[in-house]
Amino acid sequence: MVGKSQKFPGVEWVGDTGNFIRIDEAKCTGCSNCLKVCLGRCFEIRNKLAAIKSLDECMECAACWYVCGEGAVDFSWPPGGTGYRSDWG
Amino acid sequence: MQQQYDVVVVGAGFAGPVAAKKCAEAGLKTLMLERSENPGEKVISGLTIPVYGFLFGPSFIRDGNPPIERPVDGIRNYVIYDIKTSDIDIVELRIPRPLSPVMAFGYNAYCKPFIEWEVKKALESGAELRTSTTAVDVIRENGCIKGIVTDRGENIRAGIVINCEGSQGILAVKAGIREKYPPEAISLADTYDYECPKEVIDKVFGHTLRFCWGFDEQMIAPPLGHGNGLMSWPYRNSIHWMQDQCLALDRGQVPNLVRLFDEYHENITSQLPWWRDEIAPYAGMRARMWEGFEIFVGLDDRLRNLPNVADGMILVGDAAGLESTGLCDGVPAAWFSADIAADVAIEALKADDTSAAFLKKYAKRMKAHPIIQWTITCRGRWNLRKAQESHQRKDLKGGVNYQFGPGILTHVGTPLTRCILGAMRKDLLVMSKWVKMFIRYYYNWEHERFGGERLSERPGVKGTQGLALLLFNIVVIVLSPLSLVLAWLLAPLAWAVNPFNKLLQPLIELVLRGWIKMEPLFRSLTTLTINSVKQSNPSIFNISK
Ligand SMILES: Cc1cc2nc3c(=O)[nH]c(=O)nc-3n(C[C@H](O)[C@H](O)[C@H](O)COP(=O)(O)OP(=O)(O)OC[C@H]3O[C@@H](n4cnc5c(N)ncnc54)[C@H](O)[C@@H]3O)c2cc1C
Ligand code: SF4
Ligand code: SF4
Repeated sequence: MVGKSQKFPGVEWVGDTGNFIRIDEAKCTGCSNCLKVCLGRCFEIRNKLAAIKSLDECMECAACWYVCGEGAVDFSWPPGGTGYRSDWG
Repeated sequence: MQQQYDVVVVGAGFAGPVAAKKCAEAGLKTLMLERSENPGEKVISGLTIPVYGFLFGPSFIRDGNPPIERPVDGIRNYVIYDIKTSDIDIVELRIPRPLSPVMAFGYNAYCKPFIEWEVKKALESGAELRTSTTAVDVIRENGCIKGIVTDRGENIRAGIVINCEGSQGILAVKAGIREKYPPEAISLADTYDYECPKEVIDKVFGHTLRFCWGFDEQMIAPPLGHGNGLMSWPYRNSIHWMQDQCLALDRGQVPNLVRLFDEYHENITSQLPWWRDEIAPYAGMRARMWEGFEIFVGLDDRLRNLPNVADGMILVGDAAGLESTGLCDGVPAAWFSADIAADVAIEALKADDTSAAFLKKYAKRMKAHPIIQWTITCRGRWNLRKAQESHQRKDLKGGVNYQFGPGILTHVGTPLTRCILGAMRKDLLVMSKWVKMFIRYYYNWEHERFGGERLSERPGVKGTQGLALLLFNIVVIVLSPLSLVLAWLLAPLAWAVNPFNKLLQPLIELVLRGWIKMEPLFRSLTTLTINSVKQSNPSIFNISK
């Protein structure tokens, strides 16, 4: 399975990454910081809290993890061999 | 299933293969673990690797033929006071012709091919590689790290783990060795790759990087001192393009980078005269990516002093927080630290002591490295925010000049001199290896001949270049006792280079500017040099092992 993006050419997303980023709803305050820095627009606000919309265009940059002061973004790498890849990095 | 290695290297990016190669050469059973399917395809970077990485880094890179996209001679900075009226000043730091482009300030490269080449060298030396494998945890026994747990559920035991996992440091955070960096210390880089015909790049950029800096309200780049203005790198048939901004501003506010990056990109590409008129008509966007990097980690005493060793583990490169706070480079420090880590790992395994107390040797040697030390404490880029505060043209120009222009000589002079003298003391023939490197790299770029350790000969190519290089070698050998004595004698005086350069700064800048102005006079000499390198036979600059 290889995914491509109109908005972000030159990058492919391979394999099944699963939910390698999760939001801990108990810790999330809905501050939107993660939304502001995620260029892949992977998050949305649902019921005043952050939720993962889709990780299909996630570049695994960890910006969401850095900016969450509440520790509500649980970040790990997707399984080996899956996720984004590029020849132009 | 359990497997046993002497050394497990986590991450086959820029640093990993350097450490793995050295350990394997020392006869250690060495395994590299890499989470991507092919090495390098998850590494996003600039990328100009400054020449000091090649001169003072691992000898297999200096003496080899890594794939490069373009040799660069320096940086042309556009200091933009008002983009609407094209009120722009130029600050240039460049090795002038005819020395450049053969003598380079750095080399541009794509990460994937470069890293693949490094990995190939490590494999040839006997290291093993397992890709599509993520290290998710460490094996601990009595508090000491004894190996790695992978996402496939394997336990891989190791005498020592060399952690080259890159800037996020997820494994080190999980293992409780380091902590997540605060967002003010991390910059998110919005990176584009544009295809562009080589003739256009040759004409507009030549071999020079182009950086742009402007006051914040222009909205053409991230706020001064909170990231970088536009940095553009000429490659062979493409241009790499980046703007980056810290994930939090001074008071902790998180900027809306989704909106801002698009705004900066639109504003600068539509208004910057040379981009709009000379590049845009020929350039097509091929890729857009983003990645965070440790822009100001080194400027915070506490973060800079986070542990880079633990019982059974050494942290290297970005994983140790070694990205430059000044120039934006991290590859040289990754190479230097990987080299030192391998030395210390070999010593530790020999002494059968991989305790953090023993491995502190690494921390000590790594921190004593003149370039690493300079790299992680340089304040020039951070200080640009002061130019915004004063809003004086001279402060903006002066700030850019200090970090990205000739002013850099007032702070890089001493570390560079220390490294040069140190290399001369260790290897009497190093100067001739440096000269061969410049020639080989330029030759490779012109002929697109990369790969093996030795380049195949080109039958029928004859010239006087070999003789000239031979004569140079003889001079180096004859003078080597003298240079050795000089290297020892001058070492204690290296500290004086920075103050000396500071004293002479106006003169140095005048000479550099004058030389650059007079470059047309050297046109034929430059062509002659380039042609002579292009037409030489690789036998003259192959390094025999
Ligand atoms: C946008 C940008 C521009 C830059 N520009 C420049 C520049 O112009 N010049 C310069 O010199 N430097 C530049 N740098 C910095 C440079 O890219 C880094 O310093 C360099 O890549 C560090 O090398 P490293 O080996 O420490 O880490 P990396 O090269 O990042 O390698 C880490 C490797 O580890 C792998 N990995 C991570 N975690 C695991 C795990 N748990 N298990 C298995 N594998 C894992 C990754 O997939 C990766 O291959 C830039 C960085 C960025 C982000
Ligand atoms: S940054 Fe953290 S707290 Fe804020 S919305 Fe996102 S997950 Fe919730
Ligand atoms: S890792 Fe980066 S791209 Fe992925 S969700 Fe987080 S911020 Fe977005």
